[in-house]
Amino acid sequence: MTGHPANGLDDTVHQRVRLGILTIAHEARRVEFSYLRDNLEVTAGNLSQHLGVLESAGLITIEKGYAGKRARTWVTLTKAGQAALAEEITQLKLLISQIERAHTSPD
Amino acid sequence: MTTEAAYPGEDPHRLLWNARKLAQRVRKEQRATWFPLLVFAALTFASFPVLRYSGHHLDCRAVPGGRVCRVYSDAEFVYWPVALVLAYVAIAAFYIRRSRARGLGTRVRPYAIAGIIVAVALTGVALWELRNPPAESLMGLNGMPYRLASPGAAIGLTLLVLAWAERNRALLLLTLAYLASVLVPITFGGVQHDPPWYSYPLVFQGSVLLLGGIGFALAQRPLRSPAP
Repeated sequence: MTGHPANGLDDTVHQRVRLGILTIAHEARRVEFSYLRDNLEVTAGNLSQHLGVLESAGLITIEKGYAGKRARTWVTLTKAGQAALAEEITQLKLLISQIERAHTSPD
Repeated sequence: MTTEAAYPGEDPHRLLWNARKLAQRVRKEQRATWFPLLVFAALTFASFPVLRYSGHHLDCRAVPGGRVCRVYSDAEFVYWPVALVLAYVAIAAFYIRRSRARGLGTRVRPYAIAGIIVAVALTGVALWELRNPPAESLMGLNGMPYRLASPGAAIGLTLLVLAWAERNRALLLLTLAYLASVLVPITFGGVQHDPPWYSYPLVFQGSVLLLGGIGFALAQRPLRSPAP
């Protein structure tokens, strides 16, 4: 692995919807499937795929239950998920600063 | 709506901007600051009749340069702890119910727990202070511990916890102003009987909470009932 920040990016997290899921779950502590679907503007099927990827990586836990007669799916961030989110944000900031430096430095 | 490509197709600026926007939106949607403020304004105004129509004690003692008198009501030592604990239970229930309806978790637990602990602890301190009256005037900095052991301070200190939990700077500013109104001594030249001695500070503190609650209710209204 070289020192380039792009090499520190984790493909599991470095993706708009999955980063959005982790961000919302981090802020909310616990978030429902329908909230994620509406706010990330994805279809239920697409969201399920992304949740599956994150759950397989151990970054979230998924809990199914009922509120009255209505089925609910709750998503919670794991400690590994918190660490992965923090790392992704750090790497993104690093990458952006390197891009900006490359644009401003004389050739 | 397709499955998005992973890196390198994702623009880091856009990803970071999206994450920040989402975090801000979630924080705003979690806030229901108006509710606790209006509950505490109601409790403050409801304490008038409790204090007005309950028996009062006037304890005076000589201090260097004069006398220090304390007026207190037995009822306030029952009203406030019970009212505050019930208020925190009601606030927690409101936040949890709202959280379930929206599908978004809430950070109310530390606030409710801190509120109940502070309410019980400050009531204990206030009772202790009754048996250990101050040796000098309460108007200076020496009186600060006595003013801290008050229902207003209990409300204000836990509103600081709510401001932290909701990451709400506007609430932080309002709470600091409210705490200043509680901790800065207001005197009208001795014990007042007409209007009652307790009314000015309570009216002021209740009004700060009420106006703050109305302000937050108006500011948070679009988020509480989003357009379809």
